[in-house]
Amino acid sequence: MTTATLMHANMPRPDRLRFGHALSAEWTKLLSVRSTAWTLAALVVVSVGLTAIVNMLAAPDLAESMADGEPFEPVGAFVMWGGQFGQIAAFVLGVLIASSEYASGMMRSTLAAIPRRGHVLGAKSLVLAGVVLVLGIVTTFGMYVAANFFLSREGIGMALTDDGVLRAIVGGGMYLAVLAVFGLALGLLMRHTAGAVTVGLATLFVVGNLVMLIPGAAGEWLTKLMPGNAGSQVAMVESFNPNLLDPWVGFAVFAGETLLLLAIAGWLFARRDA
Amino acid sequence: MITARALTKRYGDTVAVDAVDFTVEPGTVTGFLGPNGAGKSTTMRMAMGLDHPSSGSITINGRHYRDLPAPLHEVGALLEARAIHGGRTAYNHLLWLAKSNGIAARRVGEVLDLVGLTEVAHKRSKGFSLGMGQRLGIAAALLGDPGVLLFDEPVNGLDPEGIAWIRRLIRSLAAEGRTVFVSSHLMSEMAITADHLIVIGKGQILADTDMNDFIARNSASHVRVRSPHVTELAERLAGRGWSVERADDGALLVTGASAEQVGDVAGSERLYVHELRKVEASLEDAFIRLTADSVEYHAAAPTGRSDLTTAGV
Repeated sequence: MTTATLMHANMPRPDRLRFGHALSAEWTKLLSVRSTAWTLAALVVVSVGLTAIVNMLAAPDLAESMADGEPFEPVGAFVMWGGQFGQIAAFVLGVLIASSEYASGMMRSTLAAIPRRGHVLGAKSLVLAGVVLVLGIVTTFGMYVAANFFLSREGIGMALTDDGVLRAIVGGGMYLAVLAVFGLALGLLMRHTAGAVTVGLATLFVVGNLVMLIPGAAGEWLTKLMPGNAGSQVAMVESFNPNLLDPWVGFAVFAGETLLLLAIAGWLFARRDA
Repeated sequence: MITARALTKRYGDTVAVDAVDFTVEPGTVTGFLGPNGAGKSTTMRMAMGLDHPSSGSITINGRHYRDLPAPLHEVGALLEARAIHGGRTAYNHLLWLAKSNGIAARRVGEVLDLVGLTEVAHKRSKGFSLGMGQRLGIAAALLGDPGVLLFDEPVNGLDPEGIAWIRRLIRSLAAEGRTVFVSSHLMSEMAITADHLIVIGKGQILADTDMNDFIARNSASHVRVRSPHVTELAERLAGRGWSVERADDGALLVTGASAEQVGDVAGSERLYVHELRKVEASLEDAFIRLTADSVEYHAAAPTGRSDLTTAGV
Protein backbone atom coordinates (compact mmCIF):
# COMPACT_ATOMS: atom_id res chain seq x y z
CA MET A 1 0.00 0.00 0.00
CA THR A 2 1.30 3.40 -0.90
CA THR A 3 0.11 6.96 -0.85
CA ALA A 4 1.49 7.79 -4.27
CA THR A 5 -1.46 8.41 -6.53
CA LEU A 6 -0.08 8.04 -10.03
CA MET A 7 -0.65 11.66 -10.86
CA HIS A 8 -0.11 12.56 -14.49
CA ALA A 9 -0.62 9.00 -15.55
CA ASN A 10 -1.28 10.42 -19.02
CA MET A 11 -4.50 8.53 -19.28
CA PRO A 12 -6.30 8.87 -22.57
CA ARG A 13 -9.46 10.87 -22.00
CA PRO A 14 -12.49 10.80 -24.28
CA ASP A 15 -13.43 14.27 -25.53
CA ARG A 16 -16.96 13.50 -24.34
CA LEU A 17 -18.98 10.55 -23.10
CA ARG A 18 -20.89 8.68 -25.76
CA PHE A 19 -23.89 6.40 -25.47
CA GLY A 20 -21.54 3.48 -26.14
CA HIS A 21 -19.73 4.17 -22.85
CA ALA A 22 -23.02 3.87 -20.97
CA LEU A 23 -23.94 0.69 -22.87
CA SER A 24 -20.60 -0.89 -22.10
CA ALA A 25 -20.90 0.07 -18.40
CA GLU A 26 -24.44 -1.30 -18.07
CA TRP A 27 -23.46 -4.50 -19.88
CA THR A 28 -20.57 -5.02 -17.44
CA LYS A 29 -22.89 -4.32 -14.51
CA LEU A 30 -25.54 -6.77 -15.66
CA LEU A 31 -23.07 -9.60 -16.14
CA SER A 32 -21.14 -9.03 -12.93
CA VAL A 33 -23.91 -9.74 -10.42
CA ARG A 34 -24.85 -13.29 -9.61
CA SER A 35 -28.53 -12.54 -8.96
CA THR A 36 -28.92 -11.61 -12.64
CA ALA A 37 -27.50 -14.94 -13.74
CA TRP A 38 -29.72 -16.80 -11.28
CA THR A 39 -32.85 -14.98 -12.38
CA LEU A 40 -32.12 -15.58 -16.06
CA ALA A 41 -31.27 -19.23 -15.45
CA ALA A 42 -34.50 -19.65 -13.50
CA LEU A 43 -36.41 -18.01 -16.33
CA VAL A 44 -35.15 -20.57 -18.84
CA VAL A 45 -35.03 -23.71 -16.71
CA VAL A 46 -38.30 -23.32 -14.79
CA SER A 47 -40.29 -22.22 -17.85
CA VAL A 48 -39.12 -25.16 -19.91
CA GLY A 49 -39.39 -27.59 -17.00
CA LEU A 50 -42.95 -26.57 -16.10
CA THR A 51 -43.97 -26.82 -19.74
CA ALA A 52 -42.56 -30.32 -19.93
CA ILE A 53 -44.36 -31.47 -16.76
CA VAL A 54 -47.72 -29.94 -17.69
CA ASN A 55 -47.61 -31.36 -21.20
CA MET A 56 -46.53 -34.75 -19.95
CA LEU A 57 -49.57 -34.81 -17.66
CA ALA A 58 -52.07 -33.24 -20.07
CA ALA A 59 -51.06 -34.82 -23.36
CA PRO A 60 -52.96 -38.13 -22.95
CA ASP A 61 -56.23 -36.42 -21.96
CA LEU A 62 -55.80 -33.82 -24.71
CA ALA A 63 -55.26 -36.53 -27.30
CA GLU A 64 -58.30 -38.42 -26.07
CA SER A 65 -60.55 -35.37 -26.15
CA MET A 66 -59.33 -34.49 -29.62
CA ALA A 67 -60.06 -38.02 -30.79
CA ASP A 68 -63.61 -37.45 -29.53
CA GLY A 69 -63.67 -34.35 -31.72
CA GLU A 70 -64.25 -32.03 -28.77
CA PRO A 71 -60.91 -30.78 -27.32
CA PHE A 72 -61.53 -29.25 -23.85
CA GLU A 73 -58.77 -26.71 -24.49
CA PRO A 74 -56.85 -25.81 -27.65
CA VAL A 75 -53.65 -27.85 -27.78
CA GLY A 76 -51.65 -24.81 -28.84
CA ALA A 77 -52.47 -23.16 -25.52
CA PHE A 78 -50.37 -25.76 -23.71
CA VAL A 79 -47.19 -25.38 -25.76
CA MET A 80 -46.02 -22.22 -23.99
CA TRP A 81 -47.57 -23.05 -20.61
CA GLY A 82 -44.37 -22.42 -18.60
CA GLY A 83 -44.19 -18.90 -19.96
CA GLN A 84 -46.51 -17.97 -17.11
CA PHE A 85 -43.54 -18.36 -14.80
CA GLY A 86 -40.99 -16.97 -17.22
CA GLN A 87 -42.87 -13.70 -17.54
CA ILE A 88 -42.71 -13.15 -13.77
CA ALA A 89 -38.95 -13.74 -13.79
CA ALA A 90 -38.44 -11.32 -16.70
CA PHE A 91 -40.58 -8.67 -15.01
CA VAL A 92 -38.83 -9.02 -11.63
CA LEU A 93 -35.40 -8.86 -13.26
CA GLY A 94 -36.43 -5.60 -14.91
CA VAL A 95 -37.62 -4.15 -11.60
CA LEU A 96 -34.37 -5.15 -9.88
CA ILE A 97 -32.17 -3.52 -12.52
CA ALA A 98 -33.53 -0.17 -11.36
CA SER A 99 -34.71 -0.62 -7.77
CA SER A 100 -31.61 -2.46 -6.51
CA GLU A 101 -29.51 0.58 -7.42
CA TYR A 102 -31.63 2.67 -5.11
CA ALA A 103 -31.51 0.08 -2.35
CA SER A 104 -27.71 -0.10 -2.39
CA GLY A 105 -27.01 3.55 -3.18
CA MET A 106 -25.39 2.44 -6.45
CA MET A 107 -27.54 4.92 -8.36
CA ARG A 108 -25.29 7.68 -7.05
CA SER A 109 -22.21 5.98 -8.46
CA THR A 110 -24.01 5.43 -11.72
CA LEU A 111 -25.10 9.04 -12.11
CA ALA A 112 -21.73 10.39 -10.98
CA ALA A 113 -20.12 8.33 -13.76
CA ILE A 114 -22.82 9.02 -16.35
CA PRO A 115 -24.51 12.34 -15.51
CA ARG A 116 -26.76 12.21 -18.58
CA ARG A 117 -29.74 10.39 -17.19
CA GLY A 118 -31.16 9.72 -20.63
CA HIS A 119 -28.02 7.73 -21.40
CA VAL A 120 -28.38 5.74 -18.20
CA LEU A 121 -32.01 4.86 -18.86
CA GLY A 122 -31.43 4.14 -22.55
CA ALA A 123 -28.44 1.90 -21.87
CA LYS A 124 -30.20 0.01 -19.08
CA SER A 125 -33.27 -0.57 -21.26
CA LEU A 126 -31.30 -1.72 -24.31
CA VAL A 127 -28.97 -4.07 -22.44
CA LEU A 128 -31.86 -5.58 -20.48
CA ALA A 129 -34.15 -5.94 -23.52
CA GLY A 130 -31.35 -7.45 -25.60
CA VAL A 131 -30.37 -10.06 -23.02
CA VAL A 132 -33.98 -11.02 -22.22
CA LEU A 133 -34.90 -11.17 -25.92
CA VAL A 134 -32.14 -13.68 -26.67
CA LEU A 135 -32.76 -15.80 -23.57
CA GLY A 136 -36.51 -15.38 -24.08
CA ILE A 137 -36.33 -16.93 -27.54
CA VAL A 138 -34.14 -19.71 -26.16
CA THR A 139 -36.86 -20.23 -23.54
CA THR A 140 -39.82 -20.22 -25.93
CA PHE A 141 -38.02 -22.55 -28.33
CA GLY A 142 -37.13 -24.82 -25.43
CA MET A 143 -40.75 -24.84 -24.27
CA TYR A 144 -41.89 -25.75 -27.78
CA VAL A 145 -39.42 -28.62 -28.00
CA ALA A 146 -40.30 -29.88 -24.50
CA ALA A 147 -44.07 -29.66 -25.07
CA ASN A 148 -43.87 -31.18 -28.51
CA PHE A 149 -41.93 -34.15 -27.23
CA PHE A 150 -44.91 -35.22 -25.13
CA LEU A 151 -47.63 -34.06 -27.54
CA SER A 152 -46.00 -35.92 -30.45
CA ARG A 153 -45.98 -39.15 -28.45
CA GLU A 154 -49.76 -38.87 -28.32
CA GLY A 155 -49.89 -37.98 -32.01
CA ILE A 156 -51.02 -34.39 -31.48
CA GLY A 157 -47.66 -32.65 -31.97
CA MET A 158 -47.23 -29.38 -33.82
CA ALA A 159 -44.68 -28.56 -36.53
CA LEU A 160 -42.68 -25.33 -36.48
CA THR A 161 -44.54 -24.39 -39.63
CA ASP A 162 -47.96 -24.85 -38.02
CA ASP A 163 -50.08 -21.78 -37.51
CA GLY A 164 -48.78 -19.61 -34.71
CA VAL A 165 -45.86 -21.78 -33.61
CA LEU A 166 -43.01 -19.72 -35.02
CA ARG A 167 -44.88 -16.54 -34.14
CA ALA A 168 -45.20 -17.65 -30.52
CA ILE A 169 -41.51 -18.55 -30.32
CA VAL A 170 -40.27 -15.20 -31.67
CA GLY A 171 -43.14 -13.15 -30.25
CA GLY A 172 -42.76 -14.84 -26.87
CA GLY A 173 -39.15 -13.70 -26.67
CA MET A 174 -40.19 -10.19 -27.65
CA TYR A 175 -42.99 -10.19 -25.08
CA LEU A 176 -40.56 -11.18 -22.31
CA ALA A 177 -38.11 -8.44 -23.41
CA VAL A 178 -40.80 -5.74 -23.33
CA LEU A 179 -42.08 -7.10 -20.03
CA ALA A 180 -38.59 -6.72 -18.53
CA VAL A 181 -38.50 -3.10 -19.70
CA PHE A 182 -41.97 -2.63 -18.17
CA GLY A 183 -40.45 -3.81 -14.87
CA LEU A 184 -37.46 -1.50 -15.29
CA ALA A 185 -39.75 1.50 -15.81
CA LEU A 186 -41.82 0.60 -12.77
CA GLY A 187 -38.73 -0.01 -10.64
CA LEU A 188 -37.31 3.36 -11.64
CA LEU A 189 -40.62 5.05 -10.96
CA MET A 190 -41.14 3.52 -7.51
CA ARG A 191 -37.48 3.02 -6.50
CA HIS A 192 -38.54 0.22 -4.22
CA THR A 193 -38.31 -3.46 -5.09
CA ALA A 194 -41.19 -4.87 -3.09
CA GLY A 195 -43.51 -2.02 -4.01
CA ALA A 196 -42.75 -2.18 -7.71
CA VAL A 197 -43.04 -5.98 -7.84
CA THR A 198 -46.38 -5.91 -6.03
CA VAL A 199 -47.87 -3.13 -8.11
CA GLY A 200 -46.53 -4.62 -11.33
CA LEU A 201 -47.67 -8.19 -10.75
CA ALA A 202 -51.07 -6.93 -9.66
CA THR A 203 -51.44 -4.73 -12.74
CA LEU A 204 -50.20 -7.35 -15.14
CA PHE A 205 -51.78 -10.51 -13.87
CA VAL A 206 -54.51 -9.76 -11.33
CA VAL A 207 -56.28 -6.59 -12.40
CA GLY A 208 -56.27 -7.94 -15.96
CA ASN A 209 -58.52 -10.76 -14.81
CA LEU A 210 -60.64 -8.61 -12.48
CA VAL A 211 -61.67 -6.13 -15.19
CA MET A 212 -63.27 -9.05 -17.04
CA LEU A 213 -65.99 -8.81 -14.40
CA ILE A 214 -66.93 -5.28 -15.47
CA PRO A 215 -70.08 -5.68 -17.56
CA GLY A 216 -70.57 -4.34 -21.07
CA ALA A 217 -68.26 -2.96 -23.71
CA ALA A 218 -66.19 -1.02 -21.15
CA GLY A 219 -65.22 -4.23 -19.42
CA GLU A 220 -64.54 -5.94 -22.73
CA TRP A 221 -62.17 -3.22 -23.91
CA LEU A 222 -60.45 -2.79 -20.57
CA THR A 223 -59.82 -6.52 -20.59
CA LYS A 224 -58.32 -6.34 -24.07
CA LEU A 225 -56.14 -3.31 -23.29
CA MET A 226 -54.73 -4.31 -19.89
CA PRO A 227 -50.98 -4.71 -20.48
CA GLY A 228 -50.73 -8.33 -19.37
CA ASN A 229 -53.72 -9.43 -21.47
CA ALA A 230 -52.70 -7.44 -24.55
CA GLY A 231 -49.05 -8.45 -24.51
CA SER A 232 -49.23 -12.13 -23.63
CA GLN A 233 -51.27 -13.28 -26.65
CA VAL A 234 -48.30 -13.06 -28.98
CA ALA A 235 -46.50 -15.57 -26.77
CA MET A 236 -49.14 -18.29 -27.12
CA VAL A 237 -49.60 -20.62 -30.04
CA GLU A 238 -53.32 -20.59 -29.33
CA SER A 239 -55.13 -18.53 -26.74
CA PHE A 240 -56.99 -19.84 -23.71
CA ASN A 241 -59.16 -16.76 -24.06
CA PRO A 242 -60.49 -16.02 -27.55
CA ASN A 243 -61.91 -12.59 -26.58
CA LEU A 244 -58.51 -10.83 -26.45
CA LEU A 245 -56.74 -8.73 -29.10
CA ASP A 246 -54.99 -10.44 -32.00
CA PRO A 247 -51.41 -11.39 -31.11
CA TRP A 248 -49.47 -8.65 -32.93
CA VAL A 249 -52.09 -5.97 -32.32
CA GLY A 250 -52.01 -6.83 -28.65
CA PHE A 251 -48.22 -6.80 -28.61
CA ALA A 252 -48.17 -3.35 -30.24
CA VAL A 253 -50.60 -2.08 -27.58
CA PHE A 254 -48.43 -3.54 -24.80
CA ALA A 255 -45.23 -2.12 -26.31
CA GLY A 256 -46.93 1.28 -26.56
CA GLU A 257 -48.04 1.12 -22.93
CA THR A 258 -44.53 0.15 -21.88
CA LEU A 259 -42.98 3.02 -23.83
CA LEU A 260 -45.43 5.41 -22.19
CA LEU A 261 -44.53 4.10 -18.72
CA LEU A 262 -40.83 4.33 -19.61
CA ALA A 263 -41.29 7.92 -20.79
CA ILE A 264 -42.99 8.89 -17.52
CA ALA A 265 -40.30 7.12 -15.50
CA GLY A 266 -37.58 8.80 -17.58
CA TRP A 267 -39.15 12.22 -17.18
CA LEU A 268 -39.24 11.81 -13.39
CA PHE A 269 -35.76 10.24 -13.35
CA ALA A 270 -34.31 13.36 -14.97
CA ARG A 271 -35.99 15.64 -12.45
CA ARG A 272 -35.75 13.86 -9.13
CA ASP A 273 -32.78 13.93 -6.80
CA ALA A 274 -30.82 10.70 -6.85
CA MET B 1 -11.77 24.43 -8.25
CA ILE B 2 -15.30 24.19 -6.88
CA THR B 3 -17.45 27.31 -6.85
CA ALA B 4 -20.83 27.70 -5.12
CA ARG B 5 -22.86 30.82 -5.85
CA ALA B 6 -26.07 31.53 -3.91
CA LEU B 7 -26.49 27.77 -3.75
CA THR B 8 -29.85 26.89 -2.22
CA LYS B 9 -31.68 23.65 -1.57
CA ARG B 10 -35.19 23.55 -0.16
CA TYR B 11 -37.21 20.52 0.83
CA GLY B 12 -40.73 21.84 1.18
CA ASP B 13 -40.52 24.49 3.91
CA THR B 14 -37.14 23.33 5.16
CA VAL B 15 -34.09 25.12 3.82
CA ALA B 16 -31.23 22.62 3.85
CA VAL B 17 -28.72 24.89 2.10
CA ASP B 18 -29.37 28.61 2.26
CA ALA B 19 -27.82 30.85 -0.43
CA VAL B 20 -24.32 29.59 0.16
CA ASP B 21 -21.24 31.12 -1.50
CA PHE B 22 -17.76 29.61 -1.32
CA THR B 23 -14.78 28.63 -3.41
CA VAL B 24 -12.61 25.55 -2.96
CA GLU B 25 -9.12 26.21 -4.31
CA PRO B 26 -6.73 23.72 -5.88
CA GLY B 27 -3.56 22.65 -4.08
CA THR B 28 -5.09 22.79 -0.62
CA VAL B 29 -7.27 20.61 1.55
CA THR B 30 -10.49 22.47 2.28
CA GLY B 31 -12.38 21.17 5.26
CA PHE B 32 -16.17 21.37 5.20
CA LEU B 33 -17.17 21.33 8.81
CA GLY B 34 -20.61 21.32 10.34
CA PRO B 35 -22.83 19.45 12.76
CA ASN B 36 -24.98 16.61 11.46
CA GLY B 37 -27.82 17.92 9.32
CA ALA B 38 -26.00 21.19 8.54
CA GLY B 39 -26.19 20.67 4.78
CA LYS B 40 -22.74 19.20 4.03
CA SER B 41 -23.89 16.09 2.21
CA THR B 42 -26.62 17.96 0.37
CA THR B 43 -24.05 20.46 -0.88
CA MET B 44 -21.75 17.67 -2.02
CA ARG B 45 -24.57 15.84 -3.78
CA MET B 46 -25.44 19.06 -5.62
CA ALA B 47 -21.79 19.45 -6.63
CA MET B 48 -21.98 15.95 -8.12
CA GLY B 49 -25.16 16.73 -10.05
CA LEU B 50 -27.07 14.12 -8.03
CA ASP B 51 -29.44 16.59 -6.37
CA HIS B 52 -30.74 19.62 -8.18
CA PRO B 53 -30.31 23.03 -6.48
CA SER B 54 -33.55 24.92 -5.83
CA SER B 55 -31.65 28.02 -6.98
CA GLY B 56 -28.09 29.20 -7.40
CA SER B 57 -25.34 27.00 -8.72
CA ILE B 58 -22.31 24.92 -7.86
CA THR B 59 -19.72 24.33 -10.56
CA ILE B 60 -16.53 22.36 -10.97
CA ASN B 61 -13.78 24.05 -12.98
CA GLY B 62 -16.45 26.47 -14.17
CA ARG B 63 -18.91 23.87 -15.41
CA HIS B 64 -21.96 22.19 -13.97
CA TYR B 65 -21.21 18.55 -13.22
CA ARG B 66 -23.60 17.33 -15.91
CA ASP B 67 -21.71 19.40 -18.51
CA LEU B 68 -18.31 17.85 -17.76
CA PRO B 69 -17.19 16.01 -20.90
CA ALA B 70 -15.85 12.98 -19.02
CA PRO B 71 -16.70 13.46 -15.33
CA LEU B 72 -14.60 10.70 -13.74
CA HIS B 73 -11.49 12.19 -15.36
CA GLU B 74 -12.16 15.48 -13.62
CA VAL B 75 -13.95 14.65 -10.37
CA GLY B 76 -13.63 11.77 -7.95
CA ALA B 77 -15.99 11.40 -5.04
CA LEU B 78 -16.35 9.29 -1.95
CA LEU B 79 -19.96 9.72 -0.95
CA GLU B 80 -21.31 9.14 2.52
CA ALA B 81 -23.40 6.11 1.66
CA ARG B 82 -21.48 3.16 0.28
CA ALA B 83 -22.65 3.49 -3.30
CA ILE B 84 -21.67 -0.08 -4.12
CA HIS B 85 -23.67 -3.21 -5.00
CA GLY B 86 -22.63 -5.88 -2.50
CA GLY B 87 -23.01 -8.70 -4.99
CA ARG B 88 -20.33 -7.33 -7.29
CA THR B 89 -16.61 -7.89 -6.81
CA ALA B 90 -14.33 -4.95 -6.14
CA TYR B 91 -12.71 -5.49 -9.53
CA ASN B 92 -16.02 -5.54 -11.40
CA HIS B 93 -17.29 -2.47 -9.56
CA LEU B 94 -14.26 -0.53 -10.75
CA LEU B 95 -14.42 -2.13 -14.19
CA TRP B 96 -17.90 -0.87 -15.03
CA LEU B 97 -16.94 2.58 -13.72
CA ALA B 98 -13.86 2.52 -15.96
CA LYS B 99 -15.90 1.55 -18.99
CA SER B 100 -18.45 4.26 -18.32
CA ASN B 101 -15.76 6.91 -18.83
CA GLY B 102 -13.48 5.26 -21.37
CA ILE B 103 -10.79 4.42 -18.82
CA ALA B 104 -8.49 1.49 -19.67
CA ALA B 105 -9.16 -1.70 -17.68
CA ARG B 106 -5.47 -1.75 -16.69
CA ARG B 107 -6.10 1.29 -14.48
CA VAL B 108 -8.46 -0.82 -12.32
CA GLY B 109 -5.51 -2.92 -11.19
CA GLU B 110 -3.49 0.21 -10.49
CA VAL B 111 -6.06 1.80 -8.17
CA LEU B 112 -6.74 -1.51 -6.41
CA ASP B 113 -3.02 -1.71 -5.71
CA LEU B 114 -2.98 1.91 -4.59
CA VAL B 115 -5.64 1.35 -1.90
CA GLY B 116 -4.33 -2.08 -0.92
CA LEU B 117 -7.29 -4.17 -2.11
CA THR B 118 -5.49 -6.28 -4.73
CA GLU B 119 -5.81 -9.46 -2.68
CA VAL B 120 -9.59 -9.15 -2.36
CA ALA B 121 -10.14 -7.76 -5.86
CA HIS B 122 -12.24 -10.75 -6.87
CA LYS B 123 -14.22 -11.01 -3.65
CA ARG B 124 -17.77 -9.68 -3.52
CA SER B 125 -17.88 -6.41 -1.64
CA LYS B 126 -20.72 -7.39 0.70
CA GLY B 127 -18.14 -9.24 2.80
CA PHE B 128 -15.95 -6.16 3.12
CA SER B 129 -15.33 -4.42 6.43
CA LEU B 130 -16.21 -0.75 6.71
CA GLY B 131 -12.58 0.15 6.12
CA MET B 132 -12.30 -2.02 3.02
CA GLY B 133 -15.53 -0.54 1.66
CA GLN B 134 -14.09 2.93 2.25
CA ARG B 135 -10.91 1.95 0.42
CA LEU B 136 -12.95 0.66 -2.51
CA GLY B 137 -14.83 3.96 -2.59
CA ILE B 138 -11.50 5.80 -2.67
CA ALA B 139 -10.23 3.54 -5.45
CA ALA B 140 -13.34 4.48 -7.43
CA ALA B 141 -12.71 8.17 -6.75
CA LEU B 142 -9.09 7.93 -7.99
CA LEU B 143 -9.93 5.80 -11.04
CA GLY B 144 -9.91 8.65 -13.55
CA ASP B 145 -6.93 10.43 -11.94
CA PRO B 146 -9.17 13.46 -11.32
CA GLY B 147 -8.00 16.94 -10.38
CA VAL B 148 -10.94 17.52 -8.04
CA LEU B 149 -11.80 15.22 -5.14
CA LEU B 150 -14.78 15.23 -2.79
CA PHE B 151 -14.72 13.13 0.35
CA ASP B 152 -17.87 13.04 2.46
CA GLU B 153 -17.00 12.03 6.04
CA PRO B 154 -14.10 9.82 4.88
CA VAL B 155 -12.92 8.72 8.34
CA ASN B 156 -16.33 7.73 9.69
CA GLY B 157 -16.16 4.35 11.34
CA LEU B 158 -12.52 3.66 10.46
CA ASP B 159 -9.91 2.19 12.75
CA PRO B 160 -6.91 4.38 13.70
CA GLU B 161 -4.70 2.84 11.03
CA GLY B 162 -7.34 3.51 8.36
CA ILE B 163 -7.78 7.08 9.59
CA ALA B 164 -4.05 7.75 9.42
CA TRP B 165 -3.92 6.29 5.91
CA ILE B 166 -6.77 8.48 4.67
CA ARG B 167 -5.22 11.59 6.23
CA ARG B 168 -1.91 10.91 4.47
CA LEU B 169 -3.70 10.25 1.20
CA ILE B 170 -5.72 13.46 1.42
CA ARG B 171 -2.62 15.49 2.21
CA SER B 172 -0.67 13.99 -0.69
CA LEU B 173 -3.53 14.55 -3.16
CA ALA B 174 -3.55 18.25 -2.28
CA ALA B 175 0.26 18.38 -2.42
CA GLU B 176 0.00 17.17 -6.01
CA GLY B 177 -2.02 20.29 -6.79
CA ARG B 178 -5.47 18.77 -6.71
CA THR B 179 -8.58 20.40 -5.29
CA VAL B 180 -9.56 18.43 -2.20
CA PHE B 181 -12.87 19.05 -0.42
CA VAL B 182 -13.40 17.00 2.74
CA SER B 183 -16.46 17.09 4.96
CA SER B 184 -16.50 16.18 8.61
CA HIS B 185 -18.41 16.89 11.79
CA LEU B 186 -15.22 16.63 13.86
CA MET B 187 -13.23 19.81 14.44
CA SER B 188 -10.22 17.84 15.64
CA GLU B 189 -10.12 15.90 12.38
CA MET B 190 -10.25 19.07 10.34
CA ALA B 191 -7.54 20.75 12.42
CA ILE B 192 -5.18 17.94 11.46
CA THR B 193 -6.11 17.53 7.81
CA ALA B 194 -7.33 20.82 6.39
CA ASP B 195 -5.49 23.97 5.26
CA HIS B 196 -8.66 25.93 4.82
CA LEU B 197 -11.91 25.69 6.71
CA ILE B 198 -15.50 26.31 5.69
CA VAL B 199 -17.94 25.96 8.56
CA ILE B 200 -21.59 25.38 7.78
CA GLY B 201 -24.53 25.36 10.17
CA LYS B 202 -28.22 25.17 9.37
CA GLY B 203 -27.41 25.57 5.71
CA GLN B 204 -25.44 28.80 6.14
CA ILE B 205 -21.72 29.49 5.97
CA LEU B 206 -20.58 30.50 9.47
CA ALA B 207 -16.88 30.81 8.70
CA ASP B 208 -14.67 30.62 5.63
CA THR B 209 -11.12 31.01 6.79
CA ASP B 210 -7.53 29.85 6.72
CA MET B 211 -7.10 27.03 9.23
CA ASN B 212 -4.09 28.63 10.96
CA ASP B 213 -6.00 31.88 11.41
CA PHE B 214 -8.94 29.99 12.81
CA ILE B 215 -6.72 28.15 15.28
CA ALA B 216 -4.89 31.33 16.33
CA ARG B 217 -8.12 33.21 16.83
CA ASN B 218 -10.04 30.48 18.60
CA SER B 219 -7.52 28.70 20.74
CA ALA B 220 -7.00 31.89 22.77
CA SER B 221 -7.65 31.20 26.42
CA HIS B 222 -9.63 33.47 28.74
CA VAL B 223 -9.76 34.27 32.43
CA ARG B 224 -12.80 33.39 34.46
CA VAL B 225 -13.52 35.53 37.50
CA ARG B 226 -16.42 35.57 39.97
CA SER B 227 -17.00 38.48 42.29
CA PRO B 228 -19.82 39.90 44.44
CA HIS B 229 -19.02 43.24 42.80
CA VAL B 230 -19.49 41.92 39.35
CA THR B 231 -20.85 45.03 37.64
CA GLU B 232 -18.15 47.30 38.99
CA LEU B 233 -15.40 44.80 38.26
CA ALA B 234 -16.65 44.33 34.69
CA GLU B 235 -16.52 48.08 34.13
CA ARG B 236 -12.98 48.33 35.47
CA LEU B 237 -11.78 45.38 33.34
CA ALA B 238 -13.45 46.69 30.21
CA GLY B 239 -11.84 50.06 30.98
CA ARG B 240 -8.45 48.42 30.46
CA GLY B 241 -9.46 47.50 26.90
CA TRP B 242 -10.04 43.83 27.62
CA SER B 243 -13.01 41.94 26.23
CA VAL B 244 -15.43 41.01 28.99
CA GLU B 245 -18.41 38.72 28.76
CA ARG B 246 -20.76 37.53 31.43
CA ALA B 247 -21.32 33.78 31.62
CA ASP B 248 -24.69 32.25 32.48
CA ASP B 249 -23.70 31.74 36.11
CA GLY B 250 -22.73 35.39 36.48
CA ALA B 251 -18.99 34.89 36.20
CA LEU B 252 -16.98 37.22 33.96
CA LEU B 253 -14.99 35.83 31.06
CA VAL B 254 -12.05 38.10 30.26
CA THR B 255 -10.10 37.77 27.06
CA GLY B 256 -6.79 39.50 26.42
CA ALA B 257 -5.61 39.57 30.03
CA SER B 258 -3.74 37.15 32.24
CA ALA B 259 -5.17 35.89 35.55
CA GLU B 260 -2.52 37.99 37.38
CA GLN B 261 -3.60 41.17 35.59
CA VAL B 262 -7.26 40.54 36.40
CA GLY B 263 -6.41 39.81 40.05
CA ASP B 264 -4.31 42.98 40.27
CA VAL B 265 -7.15 45.12 38.95
CA ALA B 266 -9.57 43.62 41.48
CA GLY B 267 -7.05 44.12 44.29
CA SER B 268 -6.22 47.72 43.44
CA GLU B 269 -9.95 48.55 43.25
CA ARG B 270 -10.53 46.67 46.54
CA LEU B 271 -13.12 44.34 45.00
CA TYR B 272 -13.57 40.85 46.44
CA VAL B 273 -12.85 37.92 44.18
CA HIS B 274 -14.41 34.46 44.76
CA GLU B 275 -12.90 32.67 41.82
CA LEU B 276 -10.06 33.46 39.48
CA ARG B 277 -8.66 31.05 36.94
CA LYS B 278 -7.36 30.69 33.45
CA VAL B 279 -9.54 28.63 31.09
CA GLU B 280 -7.89 26.99 28.08
CA ALA B 281 -10.17 27.07 25.04
CA SER B 282 -10.15 24.15 22.66
CA LEU B 283 -10.88 24.24 18.95
CA GLU B 284 -13.79 21.92 19.64
CA ASP B 285 -15.22 24.60 21.97
CA ALA B 286 -14.73 27.21 19.27
CA PHE B 287 -16.62 25.04 16.81
CA ILE B 288 -19.40 24.39 19.30
CA ARG B 289 -19.70 28.12 20.04
CA LEU B 290 -19.73 28.89 16.33
CA THR B 291 -22.48 26.44 15.57
CA ALA B 292 -24.35 26.65 18.88
CA ASP B 293 -27.30 28.44 17.34
CA SER B 294 -27.39 26.23 14.31
CA VAL B 295 -27.52 22.71 15.63
CA GLU B 296 -30.94 21.20 15.36
CA TYR B 297 -30.96 19.45 18.71
CA HIS B 298 -28.85 20.24 21.70
CA ALA B 299 -28.81 19.27 25.32
CA ALA B 300 -29.33 22.74 26.81
CA ALA B 301 -30.02 25.93 24.96
CA PRO B 302 -27.53 28.68 25.81
CA THR B 303 -29.15 31.89 27.03
CA GLY B 304 -28.20 35.38 25.96
CA ARG B 305 -24.99 36.99 27.17
CA SER B 306 -24.93 40.23 29.12
CA ASP B 307 -24.82 43.65 27.53
CA LEU B 308 -21.32 44.15 28.91
CA THR B 309 -19.83 42.41 25.89
CA THR B 310 -17.36 44.66 24.16
CA ALA B 311 -16.25 42.19 21.56
CA GLY B 312 -18.13 39.21 20.26
CA VAL B 313 -16.72 35.78 19.72
